[in-house]
Amino acid sequence: VNLLDKRLAIVTGKGGVGRSTISAALALILAGRGKRVLVCEVNARERVAPLFGAKPSGHQATEVRPGIFTVNVTPPEAMREYGVMVLHSRTLYRVVFENRLVASFLRAIPSLAELVMLGKILHEVRVEEAPGKPRWDAVIVDAPATGHAVQLLRVPQALLEAVPPGPLRRDAGWMDELLRDPTRTGIAIVAVPEEMPVSEAIDLDGQLRALRLPLTDLLLNAMPERRFNPDEGGILARRRADSAPVGPAAAIAHLQALRAAEAGRYGQRLREAISLPAVEIPFLAAERWDQRAVGQVAAALER
Amino acid sequence: MSAVGESLGPKRIAVCVGSGGVGKTTVAAAIALRGALQGKKALVCTIDPAHRLASALGLAALGNKEAVVPEEMLRQAGLTLPPGGSLHAMMLDVKHTWDELIARHAPDPERRRRILENRLYQQMSRALAGSHEYMAMEKLYELATERDYGLIVLDTPPTAHALDFLDAPHRVLDFLGDESLRILGPALAAGRIGMKLLHLGGTYAARALARFTGAETLNELAALLQAFEGMYDGFKARAAAVRELMGQSQVGFVVVASPQPMSVDEALFFHRTLTEEGMTVAGLVVNRATGPLWPESAPLPEGVELARAAGEGSADLWGRVALTVAEQQRIARAERAEIARLFAVPGTPRVILARLESDVHDLGGLAVVASRV
Repeated sequence: VNLLDKRLAIVTGKGGVGRSTISAALALILAGRGKRVLVCEVNARERVAPLFGAKPSGHQATEVRPGIFTVNVTPPEAMREYGVMVLHSRTLYRVVFENRLVASFLRAIPSLAELVMLGKILHEVRVEEAPGKPRWDAVIVDAPATGHAVQLLRVPQALLEAVPPGPLRRDAGWMDELLRDPTRTGIAIVAVPEEMPVSEAIDLDGQLRALRLPLTDLLLNAMPERRFNPDEGGILARRRADSAPVGPAAAIAHLQALRAAEAGRYGQRLREAISLPAVEIPFLAAERWDQRAVGQVAAALER
Repeated sequence: MSAVGESLGPKRIAVCVGSGGVGKTTVAAAIALRGALQGKKALVCTIDPAHRLASALGLAALGNKEAVVPEEMLRQAGLTLPPGGSLHAMMLDVKHTWDELIARHAPDPERRRRILENRLYQQMSRALAGSHEYMAMEKLYELATERDYGLIVLDTPPTAHALDFLDAPHRVLDFLGDESLRILGPALAAGRIGMKLLHLGGTYAARALARFTGAETLNELAALLQAFEGMYDGFKARAAAVRELMGQSQVGFVVVASPQPMSVDEALFFHRTLTEEGMTVAGLVVNRATGPLWPESAPLPEGVELARAAGEGSADLWGRVALTVAEQQRIARAERAEIARLFAVPGTPRVILARLESDVHDLGGLAVVASRV
């Protein structure tokens, strides 16, 4: 997975395709290589920390297992951090930004919430503990679902077009540069082998390409195993109306074979439409989504 | 008919909410199709920035205008609508809806032009987060009050943003109705922003604010606010009307979930929020549940035993079959626990839609879902 070599790894895709689990798995792989990793969720109900059996981190980056930190980036917190950074004073921030009138103004500035959230994330990529020693070896972004991810990632470019010169525009400039730099940044598109996620992945690929962002990987998640060959499929289809135990067992297996075949077709369609190296992650019949399941996804990603 | 179908019967507006990837769009389209099959003029409208609905309905593209799904296509899928029944679909164009809203409220063409040409407005109407949600409410109101649909089904984006969508009219009321902003609009335009803010925010507040956004951005904003002057009341009345509509008895929310922990968490959160807001939740839909194919109480089969009973196929094949049954039982068990957690909510009508053999991506598939709702 090319994403593993980047300082900034962005995981995108339709809702429900497993972005959080894959983000967690990527972090697990990197931490296993001795890296210090931050996983950012964007204004979300936190999922990554719970996957590691930890409680949600909130807006403070918190270590959820050795080498892996998570944080939930929310607009008010990101705004405060950004404001304090720009004004160099917490008191001044309070005086200015927590003024009701000023708050109304800030709300009216287009996409400011997106800008400050993205700014916070990208700041984490750049920040150094000491000269030449970045705070994080890698920052993984569990991006919002398709349309909202595009809104988030296009903010710097949109601001460069819309906003007159000034501090906002200057920030949009360095953010845009980092986002588009293929040596530092990589974006993966995650899809599961179903109609809508596949259509959306193809759509997303087009939109991110139009923004000239560095796409690196196509991750095909939850791929059912090809467990039965066509002859066996024939036997299963023929016997599925039998009485128990053969009938119900054959019916269940037949359904699995149908899904695997369908998934194969969707996988094919994705590979044809999206010219990115593809990695398949097998479907996991996990009863619980916990660290063990994340480990299995990580193993598949490393294969 | 399911309890959810019954509960939606008298509703004229159905709003589908839930986390991403649960098949909300499919359920929304199926509810509309069901209405059409009952002889209603039915419309399904999506506000998701991703283009889902068109592919669910087998249409090439949907615009900001309603498009009728051709009867020929329905016939090909084996569907015949009764007299009066028709199925329509549209995808919300946010920018277009904003422009229509401005045109509706602007007192004269000059004012309209000033707003439409303002750079911040252009940005806001195209890309502002939350803008989708607000315009969906606006469009829904327009469709509900100015068109003669017997059923309008609205599909919404995933949870975090769908809450924005409930809040959107509130927020607009807050912002546009803010007295201090109204006073400030002209002052800003006249370059007196510094003085006003000095009174309000302490000594260097104005300079600090300008340092944050850039003075020109503030000026642009001032121009926009000034152009909006006099339009506040119209917006306010409209937003209040939209909000009022959502609480009416003709509107029913449908909370859609998949039988997975995260989706159920969000569905419960949604149910609670909607109820607190005084909205009617007309149904809980669990979509794509794993069917009960192996009797729950029966012991799991062994490969050898299956091979013997079947009398054909290798032991290895039936070993893999046994593995598949065990896997499916594990999934079904986990799903049952999640469904029970969701259905612990008292009173609300509910339905479980079993996962179909194949993905739903055409009218035929939609019809099957429609019949089960």
